[in-house]
Amino acid sequence: MELVLANHSSYPRVGASREQQRLRRAYAQRERGEISADDFNRIQDSVVAEVIEEQAHAGCELLTDGQIRWVDSISHLAARLDQVEINGLLRYFDTNFYFRQPVIKGRVAGNGPLVVEEFRYARAVSPRPIKPVLTGPYTLAASSIRETPLYRDLPTLVLDLSEVLAQEVRALAGAGAEVIQVEEPAILKHPKDLRLLHKALKLLSQAKGSSQLALYTYFADATPLYESLQELPVDILGLDFTYAPRLPETIARLGSRKTLGLGLIDGRNTRMEAAPQVFPILEKILPRLSGGIAYLNPSCGLEYLPRDKAVAKLRLMKELRDTFLQRGKR
Amino acid sequence: MSRAKLEKLGLTLPLLPTSTVGSFPKPDYLLQARARFARKEIAQKELEALEKRATEFWVQQQEEIGLDVLVDGEQYRGDMVAYFADIMPGFRMGGLVRSYGNRYYHKPIIVGEIRWPGPMTVKWWKFAQGLTSKPIKGMLTGPYTIMDWSFNDYYTDRKSACLALAGAIRKEVETLVEAGAKVIQIDEPALSVRPEELPFAIEAMQMVTDGVPAYFITHICYGAFEFIYPRMLRFPVHNFDLEMSNSGLDLIGLFKKHPFNKDLSFGVLDVHSHKIESSALVKERIEKALQVIPKEALWVDPDCGLKTRTVEEAQGKLRSMVAAVKEIRQALDKTPKRKQRRIEVGSVVKKRRKKIRKHKYKKMRRRMRHKKK
Repeated sequence: MELVLANHSSYPRVGASREQQRLRRAYAQRERGEISADDFNRIQDSVVAEVIEEQAHAGCELLTDGQIRWVDSISHLAARLDQVEINGLLRYFDTNFYFRQPVIKGRVAGNGPLVVEEFRYARAVSPRPIKPVLTGPYTLAASSIRETPLYRDLPTLVLDLSEVLAQEVRALAGAGAEVIQVEEPAILKHPKDLRLLHKALKLLSQAKGSSQLALYTYFADATPLYESLQELPVDILGLDFTYAPRLPETIARLGSRKTLGLGLIDGRNTRMEAAPQVFPILEKILPRLSGGIAYLNPSCGLEYLPRDKAVAKLRLMKELRDTFLQRGKR
Repeated sequence: MSRAKLEKLGLTLPLLPTSTVGSFPKPDYLLQARARFARKEIAQKELEALEKRATEFWVQQQEEIGLDVLVDGEQYRGDMVAYFADIMPGFRMGGLVRSYGNRYYHKPIIVGEIRWPGPMTVKWWKFAQGLTSKPIKGMLTGPYTIMDWSFNDYYTDRKSACLALAGAIRKEVETLVEAGAKVIQIDEPALSVRPEELPFAIEAMQMVTDGVPAYFITHICYGAFEFIYPRMLRFPVHNFDLEMSNSGLDLIGLFKKHPFNKDLSFGVLDVHSHKIESSALVKERIEKALQVIPKEALWVDPDCGLKTRTVEEAQGKLRSMVAAVKEIRQALDKTPKRKQRRIEVGSVVKKRRKKIRKHKYKKMRRRMRHKKK
């Protein structure tokens, strides 16, 4: 079984040093009109390159651009759509991070590429494959205020957003993305909408070409939905084990027809995982997986950690994986 | 409704008492001094003198603007969790983590047993109270939020960390009350994050407030209240201070479905907007609040701390708020006595009917028990 080390999605954009805080300063300078949009973009580019280098150096094999340009997981995409305005702050699930809530004023429509240019830049500066990340249509819709009567019911909005995101998936696949990650944390809070998610993901799946479509859920226990998640039209399922004490048992019992992204490294807490916590789960799960490959990744985006801890977690992930595989060889 | 509680504590407040959530923007001289202090260019004493100057400024401003229940303005604090974590044994300061947009904070890490180190806020409360005859709120962060906004490398689980913090905060509350504080605000903005943890968040707050002679307020903001309402009404405080304007007053809908039965500090100012709300807009918001909350139970304040605004924006927003409240108070005074009495009588009648229903129910149960025998 090949165990590939993957980053999840976001990565801390500032660190402890003055140099690592240049993006924070640039935001403030841009707000005050002290630097131009070009200057600001150059700084963003340099931070993207820096975090990609940091992930690669820590031993990660499938990287992300760290979502460095994203204001937050919701408004970064929603603000680029027609008929969407951005409103006040709302807590992002159970984190102490806040996103700007979209207000849907009319029929949503794409208004040009969302993240494909970000992906192209990241790929150009990365020594290893880059995984582009999109917030999924269900989570985007569930996080929005629906003001227009067109979307009195949630499903219509979810499916319209799916059409828009399908275009982006097509563009990302065309630009050479091998794995495209769609994040749907909201579905774990609303399991009754799984059929709706199925329909939505089908639209995305039809646009993926030869890319692999990965569905990542987190911030809640996926165990009760595990069997249903296996039915969804995606190639990879990413799971957060930090909320799910019974998940290893469930996977060991039911196996997996899909490649799994094993979120065994807690992306929300600084405590470093030890081998006795991680190895028994891997031993239990890996023999039950098909496809010959699994991803080992943090449980969620690493932006919830300080930069030094985020890189330490990635290094730890490599150490654990290498030790585990060597042990298996002996 | 806790007017009686306030009066018992010797506090007579006008209808719709005005207050703020706690923090005010730091003047430029203080921001510069804090940066210099961080670079070890000035001594603690020098910084503290400027913090006192800024506190005096804000107490004077609140009086001038006409607020009823004042705060010390938290000129000596950075982040609401980091301030306490910095002082309490058991914590180490972690690196920067983003909270929204371009805002970052140092997220603490619990690395050992949490203990109360002695008074953490009392000196500042006394200083601020010494500047005014109006009540100053004691301002604390709640155990659940400190736990949730910290990393935990020490305690086995979140509940253990939260209850350990509750013990420490309880001691701070007792010390504030001994010093003379009558209104204590214990902020729990994280309360709504994990609905399944609400029972131990309530248990922790019970440890903090149980039997303490004070009027307790808790501030909660930017959360998914729909997941914890109405269960959150079991939280052992007298007053919930809620962010309302940022979320388009959508909580009013919840209160219509299930009545809110505590005092409510109703956030009427969006603290993340540079725009100063007109007093007409604030008035409109208060009038909406009065549709679901009795006037005796309603307080008026901003959505959250004003520290992210400029000094001028904070002043402007508060002036609008106070002007709107004054207008509404006048209008309420002009409401015909008969109409007011009808409302009061209405609530008495409702209570009496409830009592009768309860009595009938007990009687019926007694009869059934008797039949069984």
